[in-house]
Amino acid sequence: MNKNMKKTYYLLTIFTVFMFSFSYMLVPLYDIFCEVTGLNGKTNQTKVSVINEQPTERFVKIKFTSTVANSAPFIFEPVNKEMNVQVGKIYTTFYTLTNNSNKIKYATASPSVVPSQDAEFFKKIECFCFSQQEINAFETKELPLQFIINNELRNETKTLVLSYTMFNTTEQAGLNSENKIYE
Amino acid sequence: MSTDIEKLDDHHHIPSGIMRWITTTNHKDIGTLYLWFSLIMFFIGGAMALVIRAELFQPGLQLVVPGFFNQMTTLHALVMIFGAIMPAFVGLANWQLPLMIGAPDMALPRLNNWSFWILPFAFTMMLSTLFFESGGPAAGWTLYPPLSLQGGDSMPFVILSIHLFGLSSILGAINIIATILNMRAPGMNLMKMPIFVWTWLITAFLLLAAMPVLAGAVTMLLTDRFFGTSFFTASGGGDPVMFQHIFWFFGHPEVYILILPAFGIVSTIIPTFSRKKLFGYDSMVYATVSIALLSFIVWAHHMFTVGMPLAGEIFFMFTTMLIAVPTGVKVFNWVATMWKGSMTFETPMLFAIAFIVLFTIGGFSGLMLAMVPADFQYHDTYFVVAHFHYVLVPGSLFGIIAAVYYWLPKWTGKMYDETLGKIHFWLTTIFVNLTFFPMHFVGLAGMPRRIPDYAIQFADFNAIASIGAFGFGLSQLLFLYILLKTLKKDVTAKDKVWEGAEGLEWTLPSPPPYHSFEKPPRVE
Repeated sequence: MNKNMKKTYYLLTIFTVFMFSFSYMLVPLYDIFCEVTGLNGKTNQTKVSVINEQPTERFVKIKFTSTVANSAPFIFEPVNKEMNVQVGKIYTTFYTLTNNSNKIKYATASPSVVPSQDAEFFKKIECFCFSQQEINAFETKELPLQFIINNELRNETKTLVLSYTMFNTTEQAGLNSENKIYE
Repeated sequence: MSTDIEKLDDHHHIPSGIMRWITTTNHKDIGTLYLWFSLIMFFIGGAMALVIRAELFQPGLQLVVPGFFNQMTTLHALVMIFGAIMPAFVGLANWQLPLMIGAPDMALPRLNNWSFWILPFAFTMMLSTLFFESGGPAAGWTLYPPLSLQGGDSMPFVILSIHLFGLSSILGAINIIATILNMRAPGMNLMKMPIFVWTWLITAFLLLAAMPVLAGAVTMLLTDRFFGTSFFTASGGGDPVMFQHIFWFFGHPEVYILILPAFGIVSTIIPTFSRKKLFGYDSMVYATVSIALLSFIVWAHHMFTVGMPLAGEIFFMFTTMLIAVPTGVKVFNWVATMWKGSMTFETPMLFAIAFIVLFTIGGFSGLMLAMVPADFQYHDTYFVVAHFHYVLVPGSLFGIIAAVYYWLPKWTGKMYDETLGKIHFWLTTIFVNLTFFPMHFVGLAGMPRRIPDYAIQFADFNAIASIGAFGFGLSQLLFLYILLKTLKKDVTAKDKVWEGAEGLEWTLPSPPPYHSFEKPPRVE
């Protein structure tokens, strides 16, 4: 086998391995891309600290909606369906979650904001969606949400919709923590 | 290298029996294996298409349950794309590339044997899922989560078979690139290569870039389902839409993998029967390269309705439309090649001309689909089905059939029956249009794809399409008959089968000796 041929094989093999790794690199790239563009209405999934936010004269309407994924045995609803909020001021509201089964369950909420371009201006200071919720059989829980609308919100925006989807993550919880006893 | 070749020179006998085919490292044998394999897969995938068309002959549910219908649409696509079209092109590459560039064999003969013999195992495994209690894969060939994650036991088997035939394609592509770059006859520089070799070189690079990404995407599906990762599971912070991005990052180059070799075939056949040189050889090469490069920045046009920022929609719309430019260059070059040529219409030429006309129709419907506002209406309707069948059946498949008619006398030394070939052409062309043209109409009127039942107003066009599909399927049995009849004949073909043909393969006898070009020819 001559030198040129060997070089070709090496280069092509490296290229193949690179493209396989590239498919995995697309995962963080996609998240960065979503964050930069506000694609998918993704909001912050960890606590933000609010400094230098001054309440302004401007008011926007926030609508709260909820969905339960894959017919999990939950009742999940916002306490306030609608709020008129002052931009730059901190508000607290609640969702209620009821476990409609006779077993302990774990639930995780996934948030989304419409219009998606405004997702980055909806800052959550405290949210039940940051962590997994443990809920006993037939228990009802109040889940708090503390948020602030950033004063850089686009001028044309009059209404924001915040929607949560509640997933049943009992199975995944079982994978992660072996010592939990169900029933 | 030269010492290796001299050692091979010792045995000129052709091994016989089944072991010849299992252990062969000869590019001609492996090419033959690939072509027969793809023909078998073509009939299996065709049978699945006929199940679909039989069910859709009338509105309502007659023959199959919806779950099985979904398995048929999924497997029909997987079998036809990865089992029929791609192996057929690799088979043509195996037969033709060494003959066209004056090489004694492929660069990696042993690997070549492996890349073929992986395929029967991959597809046996994939098709065996049909006999599972939970049935075969039914989430569509695109395997979108969350649906594909909710399927039955077939899912890991299908993913492993995707890994296997992906491996086969990658090994094949490495082999082809190494052969083309390193084993050309002295004097044949890149811009003197036959155009079919050029299109295959570019296709092989597309394969290397795209197939590993598919492997990555399906591996993520696998770990999501069985190992608790959350790449696409929303409850764990993943995003199902991301799968669509990764999948189509593979998927769009894939559609050019399926068509570029056919471009090369048509660019070879049209000059032969027009008795003129290919018009604009250089521009053909550059057009192929630009199509390949553009194919990596257009993927999101498959998912305009998934929810994207306006800027994204506009970007992908314009890049997609941009592809029409190099494709247009090709179509005009083919037409200009025929212009004022002394044309004759043997079977390969008929298929090549039909390719140009019908592929262009598929290209135009592609342009319609590229427009975002229009696509919101067309998305997931039969209009899309009509579009991609027009580029894949009278596109890729006609290219393959044309190539087989064109080179069969060279491979076997036996001439096929020209009258039967022409009958095959006319039946195929009439029925292919009868099948797929009405799908444009029902699609524009809103009939969704991948659904076993439909509203009553679509009944007439669907009945026509079903009749066309059965006619098309049965006409291909004539193709099989023509092939078998040819193989039974005596060797009578001339070395240069077609008087207008050019290239090194025509300097060899028909059929070419088992080991050809042991001493490389000189190209002026």
